Amino acid sequence: MTSAVIAFPCGLATSAVPGSGAELEREAERDAIAACRRGEREAFDVLVARYQRPIYRLCYRYVNSHEDANDLAQEVFLKAWRAIGRFRGDSAFSTWLFRIAVNACLNFRALRRPETRELPETLLDPRPGALAEVERQDDASRLRAAVSRLPERQRATLILKVFHDLTHDEVAGILGSTVGTVKANLFHALANLRREMTRAKETRS
Amino acid sequence: MTAHLSDDALVSLALGEGTAAERSHALSCEACARRVEEARGTLERVLQAEVPEPSPVYWEALRRGVSRRIAEDGHVARRSVIFVPLAAAAALLALLFAGQALPRKGPGEPGLAAWSALPVVEEDEGLHVLEGLALASGELAEWNGADGLGAYLANLTDEESQALAETLRQRGHGGGS
Repeated sequence: MTSAVIAFPCGLATSAVPGSGAELEREAERDAIAACRRGEREAFDVLVARYQRPIYRLCYRYVNSHEDANDLAQEVFLKAWRAIGRFRGDSAFSTWLFRIAVNACLNFRALRRPETRELPETLLDPRPGALAEVERQDDASRLRAAVSRLPERQRATLILKVFHDLTHDEVAGILGSTVGTVKANLFHALANLRREMTRAKETRS
Repeated sequence: MTAHLSDDALVSLALGEGTAAERSHALSCEACARRVEEARGTLERVLQAEVPEPSPVYWEALRRGVSRRIAEDGHVARRSVIFVPLAAAAALLALLFAGQALPRKGPGEPGLAAWSALPVVEEDEGLHVLEGLALASGELAEWNGADGLGAYLANLTDEESQALAETLRQRGHGGGS
């Protein structure tokens, strides 16, 4: 017996064998959506629990701050609850939810205050290897900041494609664009990041 | 393949995708191979920039925060099933009606673009009309233009929807300023 492979946005890929854990989860999700559409508030908790991590991480990639990502993630779920009566299942629920999240992030970015440089997350630690760890964290912090400074479409494409491991088609569906545009935006995002990292390296040396 | 690889193809190869012809070209063309390696190297570095994992108790706090905001919002999803499509349809009809009172386009200019549920705001000329009306009425929710029209209408309260319909009616009868 062969089984179809379903690619879940959020980087999950699982086999849809009837009765398998993945199939049961999808069934539970369908039931929860139907209950939400009937106005059953508790059913929405199931969906929040399932998607809170990818949505929070998506928001964090955009805003590069825990506080803002937390606010945004709550906003995304509130908007989803308000709109779930109109979710018809034409696309996967996750694609629909990611679209709401990307819109919320773009909105937030349009209104946000000017960029400020993050402080290092770790103070100097005298233990062996601590300096290397601080440098590694500093690099990661710089990269996250560079990602959050990319032009909107490039950032959205990079985050969805690279960090959430969605297919080109899924990213195109979420952003309302074509596969060709997705690839072009990803190429330019990588080129911009490379330039930014080279510049940062030159500044440090 | 004699021409260099396109940007699309370079990205595909960097992601471990791409066609056999593209892979073959990259093997034989030094310039393209270098660009693929650069893109792949950038991808690898970007993937190292993980999002810091919040405290384990954070997720429960996030769920509680969502529940609290939904309770405060007092918005019942069930109502949206009936109300929002009606409100959207009413607003659309009213907008079309109001269009009679708005300045006419010249014969060579294109008409309004088809309305789309997707957030391609810049393609939807109808949004500019609605934005003008929304800004003219102090009773409507603030609209920053980045959300799609459907999302904007969906988030209006009953009172705001009535205010919008009233504004559109007034425009339709030439009563607006």
